[in-house]
Amino acid sequence: MTALALSIVIPWAVGAVLLLIDGRRARAGRAAIATLTATLLTLGFLLATVMSNGPIVVTTGDWPVGVGITLRADVLGVLFALLSVLVLLAATVHEVADGVRERPFPGLVVLLAAGLTGLFLTADLFNFYVFFELALAASYVLATYGGSRQALGAALVFTTVNLLGTFVFLISVAGIYHVTGTLGMVQIGERMAVVDPNAALILAVGFFVAFSVKLGLFPFHFWLPTVYTGARPAVAAILSGGLANIGAYGLLRFGAELLPRELELGASALIIIGSVSVLYGGILAISRSTAGEVLAYSAIGQVGYVLVAIGIGGPVGFAAAILYTVVNALNKTMLFLTARMRGAFVGTAFALGAMSVAGVPPAAGFVGKLELFRAVADQPLLLALVFLGSALSFIYVFQVYQLDFWRAERTGRASAWPQQAVLVALAALILGAGLWPEPLLVVSHAAADLLADGAP
Amino acid sequence: MNLIFALVVAVLFGTGAYLLLSRELVRVVLGVVVISQAATLTIIVSGLVRGAAPIYPLPDEPISDPLSQAMALTAIVIGMAVTALLLALVLRVVRAYRSPELDEFADEEVERLARLDAEAELAQEDEEAAAR
Repeated sequence: MTALALSIVIPWAVGAVLLLIDGRRARAGRAAIATLTATLLTLGFLLATVMSNGPIVVTTGDWPVGVGITLRADVLGVLFALLSVLVLLAATVHEVADGVRERPFPGLVVLLAAGLTGLFLTADLFNFYVFFELALAASYVLATYGGSRQALGAALVFTTVNLLGTFVFLISVAGIYHVTGTLGMVQIGERMAVVDPNAALILAVGFFVAFSVKLGLFPFHFWLPTVYTGARPAVAAILSGGLANIGAYGLLRFGAELLPRELELGASALIIIGSVSVLYGGILAISRSTAGEVLAYSAIGQVGYVLVAIGIGGPVGFAAAILYTVVNALNKTMLFLTARMRGAFVGTAFALGAMSVAGVPPAAGFVGKLELFRAVADQPLLLALVFLGSALSFIYVFQVYQLDFWRAERTGRASAWPQQAVLVALAALILGAGLWPEPLLVVSHAAADLLADGAP
Repeated sequence: MNLIFALVVAVLFGTGAYLLLSRELVRVVLGVVVISQAATLTIIVSGLVRGAAPIYPLPDEPISDPLSQAMALTAIVIGMAVTALLLALVLRVVRAYRSPELDEFADEEVERLARLDAEAELAQEDEEAAAR
């Protein structure tokens, strides 16, 4: 219980203080790294506790149950929080090693961690919205980081589109409150069964649109390439590896736990949208010529798999979606961070990340693809899709490798050693998860079983 | 009553969406503001009961739902903060591009893509020449 409170309070309090300090100083950067490490350790402890003892539920401020805001740590939430904070930590170390360029950077990253942890660990719908806004507001400012004209224009697009998505989400929250009379996620899940199906379906579509915008799925992807190519490597890694997790988490939590009937009803629509996303992202990624753009379109394709897995549903489908989200976030973070880097390990790390994206063993991506194949095993059409998507991703990632690393564009002075150390650590994590996938499999199956149990 | 509110929210959202699609950045911000009002109104309407103000000591008559009002207040505050952030961002963009319109941004994006294509073509020609 203390760990649950600490994991939200630590980044929140330190983030607010860090915003007042000039972040370009090395000390501020080190403080941000220390805070994120402390949060990561707390979340790791929390994950171990939750795995052995089951979910922890706390009502804040000693209010009676039903009045106060409830926080809840279950496997799904803690896993996503852990993953997001890990990504933020890697990106922060990377950027601090290079020299922070703007004042608010360390404070914003820590506040983003507070927002993400908070929204993954809340059991209250409106509280989710507040943390959601906290995380997004931090990321709006982060998107301008670097201050180039391209980054500013991209940040404007990012902010406007995501604000629109947020208001659609808020309207859906109001709708849920009106039809169920509660904001607690557990009670909503129980009461949705007796709600008028038409109203429930409209609300489900509202949530789907709001989270798809975050995730950058096919019809809602238009903002994504501009933003990811315009931002600095660390920011692109934070947005694609950290912030995009909100979308996957939201679809899982709201789809599988709050609106299971509507998820079942819309399963074929999800699978179709996901498939289109996979093909669209893959084909456009092949047509691009710079690493940033290829990775941006690849991000659209990769989240398509997550949607297909959620559409299939059940313990196997949800487990595949969770596992794939984790692996994809790690891949994207590492690949975005390699941009503009030079040195002995950069090429190796990129090649390993490329193998992971394509699903080649021994990288972790292989385990993700294997789980996907397990989920779609009895549907030949989807099997063909996953295979085709993997083939496309194999082509585009190694095309980038060929363009960037064979053509001597990456020769010159090597990057700072802490930056290379981050890459090596991420590469070791991806390789380790590929060689010894049991822990990741156990955790994602535990999370998926929890979700599938909730569905009647 | 609900129908009237629903219509008002629909009109607000539609107006906001229309403004959001315009080329002038200030209009885009106004669009976001109007849409945030649509969301706030939806929250107020989502209250389960309507009546007198829910302030202690409670009157005998039915009171309106305090929870939806608390949510609306929070949403208004967040909406204001986000609008301020968006305005600051627009100011930075206007200063960088020296124009309050999106066209400049779009033109530059097109130029950048054209330049990238040209570079890629050049690189390919180089490679072919090297192969020969």
